[in-house]
Amino acid sequence: MNQTLNLLIGLAMGLNLLALGSGRLPSIIRTVAVQGMILGVLPLVMEPGFGWTVSAVAGVTVGVKGFVIPTLLRRAMRMANIEREVEPFIGFVPSLLLGALGTIGAVAAARALPLLPEHARTLVVPGALASIFTGFVLLVGRAKAISQVCGFLVMENGIYLFGLLLIHSTPLLVESGILLDVTVAVFVIGIIVDRIQRAFDSLDTRKLTVLHE
Amino acid sequence: MSVAPLLLLGLLALGAATGLGPRLPRVWLALTVAGTAALLAAAVVVLAGGADWEWRSGFAVGGEALHLRLDGISALFLGLLGTVGGLGAIYAREYWSDEQQPDSAPRGRRWWGSIILSMGFVLLSSNGLHFLIAWELFAVSSFFLITLERERREVRAAGWLYLAASHAGTLCLFAFFAALAARTGSWDLGPLRDRPDLAPLFWLAFAGFAVKAGLFPVHIWLPSAHANAPSHVSALLSGVTLKMGLYGLIRFGGWLPVPAAAGWIVMAVGAVSAVFGIAFALAQNDLKRLLAYCSVENVGIITVGIGGAMLGAAHGAAPWGRLLLAGALLHILNHGLFKSLLFFGAGSVLHATGTRELSRLGGLWRSMPWTAGLFAVGAAAICGLPPLNGFVSEWLIYLGLFGPAMSHHPAAWVAMPAALLLATAGALALATFLKAGAVVFLGAPRTQTAERAHESGLRMRAPMLALAAVCLAIGLAPSWLWPALARAVGTWNPAWVAGAPPPLLTLSLAQVGLAALFVAAGAILWRRARATGMRRALTWDCGYSRPTARMQYTGGSFAAIAAGWFSWLLQPARAQRRPHGPFPEGASRIERVPETVLERLVEPAAGGARRLARAARRLQHGRLQFYLLYLAAGLTALAILGLVEAMR
Amino acid sequence: MIAILPFALRLACWLLLAPLLPGIINRVKAWVAGRRGPPVLQLYYDLARLWQKSVVLSVLASPAFVAGPAVAWVALVAAAMLVPLGPAAGFPSFQGDVLLLVYLLALARFCIAWAALETGSAFEGMGAAREVSYAVLTEAALMTAILSLSVQTGSVTLNTMLAHSSGPGALLLAAGLFSVLLAENCRVPFDDPNTHLELTMIHEAMVLDHSGPPLAVVLHGAALKLLLFAVLLSEAVLPMGRLAPLAATAVLAAAVALVTVGVGLVESLLARFAFRRVPLLLTTAFLFCLFALLLAWKGGAP
Repeated sequence: MNQTLNLLIGLAMGLNLLALGSGRLPSIIRTVAVQGMILGVLPLVMEPGFGWTVSAVAGVTVGVKGFVIPTLLRRAMRMANIEREVEPFIGFVPSLLLGALGTIGAVAAARALPLLPEHARTLVVPGALASIFTGFVLLVGRAKAISQVCGFLVMENGIYLFGLLLIHSTPLLVESGILLDVTVAVFVIGIIVDRIQRAFDSLDTRKLTVLHE
Repeated sequence: MSVAPLLLLGLLALGAATGLGPRLPRVWLALTVAGTAALLAAAVVVLAGGADWEWRSGFAVGGEALHLRLDGISALFLGLLGTVGGLGAIYAREYWSDEQQPDSAPRGRRWWGSIILSMGFVLLSSNGLHFLIAWELFAVSSFFLITLERERREVRAAGWLYLAASHAGTLCLFAFFAALAARTGSWDLGPLRDRPDLAPLFWLAFAGFAVKAGLFPVHIWLPSAHANAPSHVSALLSGVTLKMGLYGLIRFGGWLPVPAAAGWIVMAVGAVSAVFGIAFALAQNDLKRLLAYCSVENVGIITVGIGGAMLGAAHGAAPWGRLLLAGALLHILNHGLFKSLLFFGAGSVLHATGTRELSRLGGLWRSMPWTAGLFAVGAAAICGLPPLNGFVSEWLIYLGLFGPAMSHHPAAWVAMPAALLLATAGALALATFLKAGAVVFLGAPRTQTAERAHESGLRMRAPMLALAAVCLAIGLAPSWLWPALARAVGTWNPAWVAGAPPPLLTLSLAQVGLAALFVAAGAILWRRARATGMRRALTWDCGYSRPTARMQYTGGSFAAIAAGWFSWLLQPARAQRRPHGPFPEGASRIERVPETVLERLVEPAAGGARRLARAARRLQHGRLQFYLLYLAAGLTALAILGLVEAMR
Repeated sequence: MIAILPFALRLACWLLLAPLLPGIINRVKAWVAGRRGPPVLQLYYDLARLWQKSVVLSVLASPAFVAGPAVAWVALVAAAMLVPLGPAAGFPSFQGDVLLLVYLLALARFCIAWAALETGSAFEGMGAAREVSYAVLTEAALMTAILSLSVQTGSVTLNTMLAHSSGPGALLLAAGLFSVLLAENCRVPFDDPNTHLELTMIHEAMVLDHSGPPLAVVLHGAALKLLLFAVLLSEAVLPMGRLAPLAATAVLAAAVALVTVGVGLVESLLARFAFRRVPLLLTTAFLFCLFALLLAWKGGAP
């Protein structure tokens, strides 16, 4: 069980780095979608036996993160008519190296934290820390709004991983609540992206500085 | 032969050379060669198994009796000094002859003898006061040697920068030796490992010796000094005087207890120096500046070895610690040899064409075949390619760095990144020396000056040939040097005397086999090519009707890709005039890589200090009334202070 | 006499089997494209033909133009002899021979690039500049892979490093070494071996001016380098030391064939990346090897 869990979270951490290195928006969106789907399946792996609630929540998470949110993002992308990321603030190679450093740092930091024995042997905490760091790098380093939204989604995946530590005590309803919030946020962001595109004829968030007084 | 008479002979011969040199050039050459040969012989006697030599004088110099010592470590450095000093003197007879440089050549001869004598004293001194006196003497001699061509403004500027930086380092050394003398009660130097309170002094020594050695942030004086000095002086500076700083580091890292963090920090500084140094070298377009920055890289590699040895000593890990120190010592020797060879080659090019700019040279192999071939040998040696000597020392250092990784030792956390950085530096060095060798010697001449070049005379070629032969010899048979290295390592740390040597015999057999096969394969392929018919034609240039020599790849374009990755460090300044219109007049692009640490950090800081000083100078305006006011204010403040203290 | 037999056998294997690999790759590419393609033994015919041809030298080139390929070829053969081939151990084998391997590859690169720059042509200069620049990143990745093997097996000798069982990071190491193989042997996506447009050449540009026997030597050396990397990759990832000699040979042959077919498929399915994206790819290869190293370190920590 531990092995499958570690393998899946390892894959998710690898997808973090893939997102950092991608320059094309469809591939970032696809990467985040696959990461969401992998993490959506995790409760099924962590809970022994078969429970209807757990499976339902897992199924909804996979559906929303894997299909609904990416569709919303792709629609926003089509309306804004962009496919490519401009040269970001933190270049592709430095952000990749930063992400790798962050992953290694996350593993080292997780060793220093006082975790429960059943969590200490898994990659849940390192994966969470690494995803939050990667999401932050994407948020800060990228210029296009959609890449920043993807960074926000990666961060949310990290927080979701943290939430999985409490899977035995907190009902998954909280996770579902967060998921609903995120869906609504992305929907609203889709509308805002369209507005930004119409006002500035570009999704470069640097142009938003013109709004300050 | 015993050591004392050889050293005395060396001292007398070099002293006579210094005195008589200015007026009698031939006598100077004979005396200098004899003196340096005596120093080399003394070093060989000690390294070949003789006992350490020690001598205390009856008379006092500056209040302290002379205490000289020649052991395994100083013998290695003394041998290098003798070799480069003697060969440089032969080179200088033709390169810096009286006919071409009537006023500076006599001065050069005097200071050459002086610098060798003072460096010899630094190596032999076992007394803090005399170490400092000799250190200062050789810094001053270097200054005079660098500024031999003092009519040129950039040479004077290089000399002043060198002097300032050198004295900054010497200041740290003054503090170090004074504190050492104060704490131990005497100026005498020797193994003092049982005094843990001396450990924090290591940082002072590290700062002082790092400036002289040219490690990364404090290397700012190196490029201009080594580029603007005459080439034989550059060879001596790069080959030997940088190693004086490393000698101090090795000596005092061995004799004194070092703090726990010392090994980690020394190794980290060395690894960073190596990569940054070669990145700067890659971007240079001045041949001697390129070689100077490459010295920073090699000093970094040696420092990695020294740091690793300190780590090994601290953790009691003899196997890899010993390998790292042996690799560092061998690289000191090797670098002295092949860097001198490269500088002599650069001097030969400068002598023949009058320029150091890569963009004005090219195609020199036709007119200077010896220089081209020997420079290529030096370039291959410095890249660490088998079967030459550079490979052997880098192999030893890598073996030492792999040691902690293999045994899962905590030191691996600095050894593994160091190995990676060294690998990167090695690949960058390959690119740098391909650029240097190819742009200067291969292809077609880019300017008229390059077309009119001529081969240098015998007295310039013979030292280069000798150095290349020694490089090849060390590469093919490193096992005959191992006892000397083991002796030096044992002197540094007595716990490391015994131990299995690395498989140098197998390596040397492999290198000999490789060398033989290389020669054979080259000959066979050449004969086959001639046999099937060989003819000459113009280089294929995609059908251009008027190819010119300026269409060749320049040094800057060659290095552009890799230098672009380091542009955050190099901060190149670019001046560009683009072509305009359908029939453009002319266009130019001038790119210059500044000495970044100097021009972006030190000079602004110095400017800020000057501004502060100028602001403070406003206090000195010459008005009597205000001076009286200052006096009154000062006295009042003292009175208040005294009252407050009395009331406490 | 008997002692020299395994050495001679290994040498013969390396020299005779190397030209097969480019033939297999071309066949795979042709099959994917729906063509028949050249015969698998084409490179052998090419080498024989080139050895008979005459040489045209540039007026600017020195004898080093001919000596360079010869020295590079000897360096590659010597590097190949250091590597164990299945059950047959490498010879000479000593502590630190893996570093001799790395530096012999560097020597081969130096010689070919020097010969390229002899011609004084902008094409060769371009090719050489690109080759040595990207070599900086592949050296880092290769050294990391070697460190990872060394940490895993506790040894710096090729025979021990490659004969032991694969560690936990085997898949990552395979991905990293495969990328290094593609980069060092100038395959898509780093360089297209079929193109002759100067904007897209690296290796092809460097050997543009060679002809006759020197060109044959260069081509054979390139094939040898490809076989060397394929063997290194297979032996680093698979547990050779645990198998019986015959099984080990069969497994090695199968693995090398698989790697070759893989290279062919990659060449058919991917396009050459723009040069400004190559550092990103090579950094990814470096990171694969780095994570393999960290996994190996964690695996063996006491």
